[in-house]
Amino acid sequence: MRPIIAIASTTVGEAIRRKVLLIILLIGVLFIVVAPGLGILSARSETTVLKSFMLGVIQGVSAIIAVILTVYMIPNEIERRTIYTILSKPVQRWQFLVGKYLGAVLSLLLMMAMMSAVMALMFFLQQQSKNVGEVAELMKGPMMYFVQMCLLAAVAIFFSTFVAPLVNFFLTVGVFLVGVFFNPLFQSLQDNQNTGTLVKKAAWAINTFLPNFANYNVQNPLINQTQGIQNEGRYYLGITVYGIVYICILLILGILIFDRREV
Amino acid sequence: MKHRTSPVLLTFLALAFICQGLLQRLVIFDQWTKNYNPGKGKMLNTAMSPDQILAVLAGFREITAGILWVKADTFFDQGNYDAILPLIRLVTLLDPNEIDVYATGMWHIGYNFTDEEQRSDRRYLPSALALGKEGCRQNPDTYELFFEEGWLWYHKIDDEYPNAVKWFLQAAQRKDMLTARKNLLGMAYQRTGEIDRSVDTYYNLYADAQDRYLKENAFGNHQNRDTLESNLDNMLVRKIQRGFQAESENRPLNDYDVYPPFDVGFSVKATVVEPNVIRFEGTWNVLPVGTRIRVVLRDLNYPHAKPAEMDWDFSDDVNLDPPRDQTFMQEQLFVKNRRFNKKVDMSKDPTMYPFTTDNYVMEFYYNPRSAPPHIQDKFSWSGEGMTDKNFLKTDVRPGQRVIFASLPITRNMIKRYGEWADKTPVVKTPNYAESAPDAGRDDDAILKIPSLRSSGK
Repeated sequence: MRPIIAIASTTVGEAIRRKVLLIILLIGVLFIVVAPGLGILSARSETTVLKSFMLGVIQGVSAIIAVILTVYMIPNEIERRTIYTILSKPVQRWQFLVGKYLGAVLSLLLMMAMMSAVMALMFFLQQQSKNVGEVAELMKGPMMYFVQMCLLAAVAIFFSTFVAPLVNFFLTVGVFLVGVFFNPLFQSLQDNQNTGTLVKKAAWAINTFLPNFANYNVQNPLINQTQGIQNEGRYYLGITVYGIVYICILLILGILIFDRREV
Repeated sequence: MKHRTSPVLLTFLALAFICQGLLQRLVIFDQWTKNYNPGKGKMLNTAMSPDQILAVLAGFREITAGILWVKADTFFDQGNYDAILPLIRLVTLLDPNEIDVYATGMWHIGYNFTDEEQRSDRRYLPSALALGKEGCRQNPDTYELFFEEGWLWYHKIDDEYPNAVKWFLQAAQRKDMLTARKNLLGMAYQRTGEIDRSVDTYYNLYADAQDRYLKENAFGNHQNRDTLESNLDNMLVRKIQRGFQAESENRPLNDYDVYPPFDVGFSVKATVVEPNVIRFEGTWNVLPVGTRIRVVLRDLNYPHAKPAEMDWDFSDDVNLDPPRDQTFMQEQLFVKNRRFNKKVDMSKDPTMYPFTTDNYVMEFYYNPRSAPPHIQDKFSWSGEGMTDKNFLKTDVRPGQRVIFASLPITRNMIKRYGEWADKTPVVKTPNYAESAPDAGRDDDAILKIPSLRSSGK
């Protein structure tokens, strides 16, 4: 366990020092700070627009950070040959991969926590109330986004074990977009009686086997709090378990491939 | 070194893969569809730009709705009303909690689609009602859309008032219902003929208003209490004047204004003066101003048609595409000096009056429940004080005495085709009698206002 923790903590340190990530984070924070000014978009729904925009920024910025952080993680180590010094020590390849992944997850946690804290602050200031319950409710969004980003990071780590960073970038972004957009599309296809059986089956297969990122877009009921959700806890638990299971699958597959790779 | 993969690991991998699939299909997907689907599967058929679709698919539908609503506002300013309809639908699909969009959308659909003479296109009214019903379902905790739905029945449809009462009652049950708006429930009860309920409603509202005023001596509270007191006074006087008190005490109605019933002597003649232009002339033996007789000209087989109206409430689904190949014209004929005379020009709006089928019907309808109080003082709320030798009906609106007449007309007559090219089509009731050419013309300046009392005093 100790090698994993050591590699993870080193990875966090590297991530914090990467200027590109910090600039993206700064832009995200700036967007959240200016969000209260967007109330003009809806005369009596300022709060709706505010919540929607801030959650959108957190999700978008986190996704960019997750992809940029992870696609270069393994290839950089190989290119700079630092991996040799690590693997020459009593460190297994799987420990290296898991350590790197956990480091990326911790870095994401830090950055998302920072954006969420700014969001909570801006929400307090804009609402001029001390309604902690409402802010706590709103925080369910970033919490689920965090699981979503962990899954995205796992996808990127998996691809980084066998493809070049540029290809990995497009593959990861592609899988993310399909995962985010395919649920509504699948629902539409399923409801449309004119859709052919083959298309429906293909949609079913994609929806069942590819990582489903849309599950974590829980913002609409958080924004429109009049919408009553039954078994909300069960749903959150379900998608968290789903995320963990899928992350395990991707990491195991990554380990199997990385184990066979010449470095 | 040759790598061998552990069978246990592979088995675990396979099990994990099956497990995630089962989780997705059996546990997550149904609840996601019910609670988290960004467009409920409908927005893909609508006219959003690609970036808006992406934003919606990614789950950020509220902000897209806000942007679209700003766009709709510019269309309002330009008077481009047709362009607003799909945007209203889109915004309500994207963000079902946009109460303003539902309310504005209902008003827009119900009131803004008119012809050159500002006659409403009634074909849209079921859509306006359906949009309101959807808004109520999506926003059950606030009174606003329940009230708007009731108002559409009360003011725009101006008939079948039990529906207005139904929605006003639901609005009144919401905690945020504005005090002053509750008063309308009393008015709506009057128009359903439920007079005791109307009086009870006013008493209850007055008691609440009095409590509120005693707690806080604010101008609004004072004004509301006084308004309710005045409404209650009026209702009690009318209840006695219109014979309700006598009826409840089983006393004869002889001395009351509503008895014996007054013969309105309705007759009508419709002349197609030009293609798609019809002049309606007729008699109505009531001198005081304030009578509006409804005329409906519609396809004989107009879907969901009922006497002098349609089943406005026939659908819960919002369909912004009314039957464009069917015609449903509704107009009011104002009575002056016991006659009415109005030219209805349908020639400038072929989309609203397409006249595509062969047979049509003209329906004439008068219901005292929509009449002003000084007319109701004679006719009462349900037509107890009104009669007509030829056209009094009690089955057209159950529980009410209304005037109703129906005349057939054909497309060839309306369009002056065939034999009607050189001959003026005229359709009239058998009792219609020609009078002096000037009688009842729009330019009549002198109005006589006698009493409608049965004694003639």
